[in-house]
Amino acid sequence: MISILIIEDDVNIAKMIKATLSIVGYSGTCRYDGRSGAEEAMKGSYDLILLDIMLPEMNGFEVMESIKSCGTPVIFLTAMQDVADKVKGLRLGAEDYIVKPFEALELLARIDVVLRRSEKTRDTITYGDLTADIGRHIITLAGKQVQLTPKEFDVIVYFLQHQDIAVTRERLLSAVWGYEFEGESRTVDIHVQQVRRKLGLKDKLITIPKLGYRLESQNSV
Amino acid sequence: MKLWQNIFLSSLLLMILTINIVSAAVLSSSHKMLLEREQAHAVNEYEFFAASFSNAVIYERLRADEVILSEEQVASTAKELFFGPDNDTAHAAVFSASDRRLVAGSGFDELMELGEVQDHISGYSPDPDTCQIRIFTLGKSRIMTVTSAMTVEGRDYIVITALDVSDIYAMRDRQRDFVRKVSIISAAIVSLILLVTVIILLRPLSRLNIYTKAIAGGNYKIRIRKKGSIEFRELSGNMNAMADSIQRNAARLEKTAEDRQTFIANLAHEMKTPLTSILGFGDLLRIKKNVSDSERMEYAGVIVEETKRLRSLSGKLMELVALGGTETEMEPVALRDIFRDLEAAFAPQLSKNGLTLYTSSEEITVMADQELLISLLSNLIENAVKASSEGKRIALNARHNGDGRVLISVADEGIGMSQEAVEKVFQPFYMVDKSRSRKAGGAGLGLALCEKIASVHGAELSVTSEIGKGTTVSLLMKEVEPS
Repeated sequence: MISILIIEDDVNIAKMIKATLSIVGYSGTCRYDGRSGAEEAMKGSYDLILLDIMLPEMNGFEVMESIKSCGTPVIFLTAMQDVADKVKGLRLGAEDYIVKPFEALELLARIDVVLRRSEKTRDTITYGDLTADIGRHIITLAGKQVQLTPKEFDVIVYFLQHQDIAVTRERLLSAVWGYEFEGESRTVDIHVQQVRRKLGLKDKLITIPKLGYRLESQNSV
Repeated sequence: MKLWQNIFLSSLLLMILTINIVSAAVLSSSHKMLLEREQAHAVNEYEFFAASFSNAVIYERLRADEVILSEEQVASTAKELFFGPDNDTAHAAVFSASDRRLVAGSGFDELMELGEVQDHISGYSPDPDTCQIRIFTLGKSRIMTVTSAMTVEGRDYIVITALDVSDIYAMRDRQRDFVRKVSIISAAIVSLILLVTVIILLRPLSRLNIYTKAIAGGNYKIRIRKKGSIEFRELSGNMNAMADSIQRNAARLEKTAEDRQTFIANLAHEMKTPLTSILGFGDLLRIKKNVSDSERMEYAGVIVEETKRLRSLSGKLMELVALGGTETEMEPVALRDIFRDLEAAFAPQLSKNGLTLYTSSEEITVMADQELLISLLSNLIENAVKASSEGKRIALNARHNGDGRVLISVADEGIGMSQEAVEKVFQPFYMVDKSRSRKAGGAGLGLALCEKIASVHGAELSVTSEIGKGTTVSLLMKEVEPS
């Protein structure tokens, strides 16, 4: 289980991040000031640290300096949009930089990127009799390999990583295609239909009207 | 044109002009003197010739032993006289006075060709007592003539003698040329000396110029060293004073801009923090498949709480903005009435928190905008409530300060704050304890707003505090004299 340390002085934001992490099954631990955050980071073994910049006691940059030795990847969270701040954070060794306010899925997407980079995400995901080997780019259904286009593969992997979450077309577009698609959500629909057909997910990968799609998890009925 | 060029050229011109005028005066007076001498010389010569002529005619008549000489005889006598051994250089002519006919002449042929000379002779009215002196220009030479009438042996004659005075004129021209040259050279030398002097004198000016340029270029820190003449020292002093004032103003403007920048940055931060929670929890409610009742209550609760925070922030902001823009309506306000209203307004909140508010006011009236004054005092009481724990007291007092002002104070027995915090407490968005303030729905704008209201009223706001003992906020404002 992935465990993430949240160092954020606003209680509600920390709570929100923790709740967001819990929907993909990551566990979150909250610390509300720089000093105790830095101590916790050195003490515990975390896969990732989400670090606010404006913190009491010690600011985010100072925390970053003091926890460098533990090698845990860090994503900065900040309300500042200053480029100089961003550069400073990244130069200190942060993996990424998220500007508040952010959507839940954007946070998760950024976390996934960082975790994948540090090889902390699971390489294979099993979903019923479906197995996705992300490293080798192979998907098998009941032991038989299924031919998918690279984009179709990315789509199903994204759903597998975000089970039980309503994914909007826009989110899927920016996650799989990597850019903001204007008025081309048909592309998403076509890929989702292909995935459904090829993998027999008609009942599981459901359409949510006006919103997008959701892959129901195996244990839900 | 530059100043030194100006001074150089004008002094050069002035010098040349002066030297020329002076020398022209000197030259003309010396020329006149020489001319007078020549005139005397010419008159002598004339008299000598006239006497010779008269003697020769008389002598000839005696020799010829005649009563009267014929005109021919006179003419030949005159010719003899002209060409005689004594008078080889004589330039003279004798005319008969009656018909202006030339009786005899020597060295006068060229002169006679001049119309002027002819007019002179024909227009001459004979007068034996005076002699007329004229100067004629003949080619390059000047000829001075002396003309007079004389009677010899009963006949009237006009006699003219001529004297070449070219030398005098030539000398005058030579002298004039010399003076001209000398004037130009000496003027050039003097001007050059002047130029060097001026450049040396104006050197502080170029130094001032460099400094002024530096100041104009934005380097407000430099100051000019006071050097040179009194005028330059005074100018340097004034320029330094100017630089001082520019530096002060620039610093003030910079500070204002910086404050505004900080304000906006803080505002953005204060808005984004609640927005992050609202967006995050809203998104969770939207995308999560199964949301339990307790989760939904929690998420929605946070959204409502944070939205309230934003509402309070925007309300305070609007008040701040409105304060800057609108006219305030000052009217006499009785503090006792206001205190009574405040007591009533805060009663529910106070009883909920288990606090007691004591108010006391003398009979005091102040000039104020009632709405704003209430808003200011409400903010202070609210702060006191936030800082106080159950069972504590809050005191709202007003009394004469003795100097025509009223001291209104709000004192609590709450948690108090450090000296460091007291200094920052009027800064917008400053919160002594962020999490506490946020829980109480504060945006960190309350005291900034109070200070603004105080300044609109020309009042002073001050804070004293001690950790664990409480905080007192005092407002000193002008009192209306009871009429």
